[in-house]
Amino acid sequence: MDSWVFITADGWSGALEAPRALGGRVVAVVVGPRELAEGVAAAGPDEVRWVEPKPGVPPEAFSLPLADVVAAAAPAVLVAGADPAARALLGAAAAALEVPLLPGAVGLAVEDGHLRVRRALAGGQTIETCAPGGGVAVIYAGEDAPAATRPEATIEVLGLTCSPLAIGASEPVGQASGLSDAERVVSFGRGVRAREDVAIVQALADACGAELACSMPIADDLGWLDKSRYVGRSGNHIAPALYLAVGIAGAPQHLEGVRGARIVAAINNDPDARIFQSADYGIVGDLYEVVPALVAEIDKLDK
Amino acid sequence: MRAVVVYKWSRNAADALVRADGSIDWRNAKMSPGEDDPAALAAALRLIRGGDDELVGLTIGDGDASWALARGVASTWSVEDLPALADNGSTAAVLAAAVRRIGGVDVVVIGDSRQEPGVAAAVAGRLAWSVVLGAQTVEAVDGRLHVTRRVADVRQTVVVPTPAVIGIAAESDLDRAPGMKELLAARKRPVNRIGLADLGVTAGDVQTLGCRRPETAPARVFAGDPAQSAAQFVSALRAEGVL
Ligand SMILES: Cc1cc2nc3c(=O)[nH]c(=O)nc-3n(C[C@H](O)[C@H](O)[C@H](O)COP(=O)(O)OP(=O)(O)OC[C@H]3O[C@@H](n4cnc5c(N)ncnc54)[C@H](O)[C@@H]3O)c2cc1C
Ligand SMILES: Nc1ncnc2c1ncn2[C@@H]1O[C@H](COP(=O)(O)O)[C@@H](O)[C@H]1O
Repeated sequence: MDSWVFITADGWSGALEAPRALGGRVVAVVVGPRELAEGVAAAGPDEVRWVEPKPGVPPEAFSLPLADVVAAAAPAVLVAGADPAARALLGAAAAALEVPLLPGAVGLAVEDGHLRVRRALAGGQTIETCAPGGGVAVIYAGEDAPAATRPEATIEVLGLTCSPLAIGASEPVGQASGLSDAERVVSFGRGVRAREDVAIVQALADACGAELACSMPIADDLGWLDKSRYVGRSGNHIAPALYLAVGIAGAPQHLEGVRGARIVAAINNDPDARIFQSADYGIVGDLYEVVPALVAEIDKLDK
Repeated sequence: MRAVVVYKWSRNAADALVRADGSIDWRNAKMSPGEDDPAALAAALRLIRGGDDELVGLTIGDGDASWALARGVASTWSVEDLPALADNGSTAAVLAAAVRRIGGVDVVVIGDSRQEPGVAAAVAGRLAWSVVLGAQTVEAVDGRLHVTRRVADVRQTVVVPTPAVIGIAAESDLDRAPGMKELLAARKRPVNRIGLADLGVTAGDVQTLGCRRPETAPARVFAGDPAQSAAQFVSALRAEGVL
């Protein structure tokens, strides 16, 4: 059962590894700069087919021509990660092959000779097993995979005529908040009741040697911290060793920003708060009591 | 310019309760538009500049037509007998057939949702149109679309010829309740109800073999006396080497 994996940006390791479990050939189709193709080749798929866009051409410009190539080869399984451009390539290829397209895939398997797709539902609280019947396209949403130790693949250049899409302008979105490479981040949400109470959480951040961050409503609606300091889908995406969420409910849009954190810890007075489903450690309690107690405890450590 | 805005009407995934055996209890889940749909609608409305410009709504299942109509859409189509499918490809095939049926469409604006991240791309694939996903805004300039999106640390404008599908990823909750005047105006706007048979398509879905809970270690949660919880918590984080 051969698989083609579409890659247009970093963050491809899980998507490339998932179809390994099927036992067939794994072909990586890379649309992007040479370094990207070389990085993928080093991970050791069976083949790498590389499309190099001219400067100013987005990867999506190849979605339709690439779909023709996929239709001719008719691999059983198509995979892409969450990256928008990779999904654009996958959507065109899946439509060309007229195969089902399943989002949220966390695992692929062959059982009794049949293809199975496991996918996360309800924010990952449950895993569904699907039997697609024939071929399938999946959007991989599982964990990153560790670096593989397989022989490097050779890179075959794929020359394709692209559709007339162009990158018109690019401007950096400045976010020099110091959050991106912080070792520890203490973050707070609407559990904090008043602007002057931010000092309570700041004291905890200081005690931990952490940067201070917040949920979106704190920056966007209330303006208690600068907008460069909120975490989540539309804010910072960070990967600290410790992310400590204080009075944050744990909305999926918020948690998207801390997928790379090693340890997530939370303080919330609601034992059923969603954040506890994603956290490694937690305290159920009123932050107004718990935070000062934590500061006192951490101060003891230093003495 | 004729634009179609696709919106979804479904049970709110945030309200799903997962039982111990992994099955999902939807009883407390409210019906609501997709989380990216208000942003998609706002983007689509900005594309429409008067004159011959027209914005048509499209939904499937029991989508509430008035949601779009009261927010400025001139008319809507709904494919009534299509249930919510696991297969984004099949959903997309029906949406693409409906777009063809509406006819003369230059651009489809659709929520690029986290829950259904394959729909927008597969609609484009089925129509063999250009597509840009993860977009924030779309504007028509000299017959082309200027689409902005964030890629890593840059905001990028992609220039796209029509016809095209633009998938909008919401940055925040933009929905606002329409006023009484808008609600009344919505009642006079046409709603076209069609079925799969009218479109000449069928909508299969993948077979499910059931659900089970993932084997993830639950959080270690301390509760009770704050000072004691704090001590246990700090020593656990010390043991992890993060404090
Ligand atoms: C398209 C879209 C994009 C979004 N993007 C983002 C994003 O990038 N980042 C983001 O953060 N959000 C984002 N949101 C908003 C998100 O859905 C949530 O609304 C938001 O994260 C909630 O913030 P919160 O947890 O601070 O507040 P709430 O949801 O109000 O939660 C407050 C929490 O504090 C707890 N609490 C209350 N009092 C106490 C106390 N005394 N002690 C301890 N705990 C207490 C409560 O139990 C509750 O869990 C987005 C939403 C949409 C629709
Ligand atoms: N069952 C469905 N009915 C109608 N549209 C859908 C459906 N599933 C996905 N879509 C489209 O895909 C987008 C993503 O939806 P959402 O998950 O609600 O943000 C929506 O904007 C819809 O236009």
